[in-house]
Amino acid sequence: MWKIEDYKVAFAAIGLIGTLLFASPTLGLVLHLPRGEKFSELWVLGPRHMAEDYPFDVKAGISYSVYVGVGNHMGSSAYYVVYMKFRNQSEPLPNATAGTPSPLPPLYEYRVFLQDGKSWETPLTFLFSGVSFVANYCTVESLIINGVAFRVDKSVSWDAEDSGYYYQLFIELWIYNAESGTFQFHNRFVSVWLNMTG
Amino acid sequence: MKLFTSFLLVFLIFGLAVGISFCVNEGGEAYPAVEGADNALKQAFAAVLEAERAGANVSSLIAELNEAGGLLAEAQIAYRTGNFNEALSKANQCSVLADGIMSDALSLKGSALADVQRAVMQALTFSMVGGLAFLTVILVVWRWFRRAYAGKLLQMKTEVASDVED
Repeated sequence: MWKIEDYKVAFAAIGLIGTLLFASPTLGLVLHLPRGEKFSELWVLGPRHMAEDYPFDVKAGISYSVYVGVGNHMGSSAYYVVYMKFRNQSEPLPNATAGTPSPLPPLYEYRVFLQDGKSWETPLTFLFSGVSFVANYCTVESLIINGVAFRVDKSVSWDAEDSGYYYQLFIELWIYNAESGTFQFHNRFVSVWLNMTG
Repeated sequence: MKLFTSFLLVFLIFGLAVGISFCVNEGGEAYPAVEGADNALKQAFAAVLEAERAGANVSSLIAELNEAGGLLAEAQIAYRTGNFNEALSKANQCSVLADGIMSDALSLKGSALADVQRAVMQALTFSMVGGLAFLTVILVVWRWFRRAYAGKLLQMKTEVASDVED
């Protein structure tokens, strides 16, 4: 048989648990549990919405398409800018180690607002015009992205090792920092290698 | 002939000057408009973020921000490609939309804060009244139980056992 002290402890425990249960709605409003890791996603998919069949051997006058997407896991709504840039093999890419963007000017851009846990995706079509091959050099005069023509005038020499004239269409993700009031490179970029064939 | 040449020269210079000033003005007008739209959108987003932090449902405002963001992106692209008229028009549309979003976000934040305050008061009242009532009931039950327990102890018969052999 239990002693009176044992019952006393049991009553005190029931009282404490009950009080905590009644206090839980208020505690829920006041206490905030730490969230998981904050991050954003940036992806590029092929024309069939899969991570395959990316355009590679490209020609002037033919339209190619990929899908670009962004996912927000920052814990609150975020304002992103997605910049499309175009480079030849000698021009710099973003530096992932230093977290710095490519100094090349952006061509096309998207401005995206996403709530936490949401994602966004859009088709991106591009075609080249004014492509010329002289000696061992290929020059691209303009790149048309989603129907908007950009004069790029980029030349590249023949890559004997990989047998091609290689360009890269790359996409940088920038995020707006509401505290500083500025856009910052979010240290995420994806790219598509393109071999100009005609 | 000399008069005609002079007239043509003056006409050409005038035309060129007007053309240049028109281009400069177009670019000159578009740039602050795009900058202004950019700032307006940043401020609108900051207001929406504050409303969200206050506990408001900002889904519809995010959709509107995306619309305004699309306009700003088009304005930036148009400016980059030298299409200043389009840049100006899109930037102005973006600014109007962003101003509307900002005022909506501010009023939403106000109502969200009032809702949160009401919810906190309700939760606090429930916790205090419920907690006190529960503790009172526990105390009453405990006192009754203690008395009943003591009574039960007093009513117990003392049984003496003996193992002494007769």
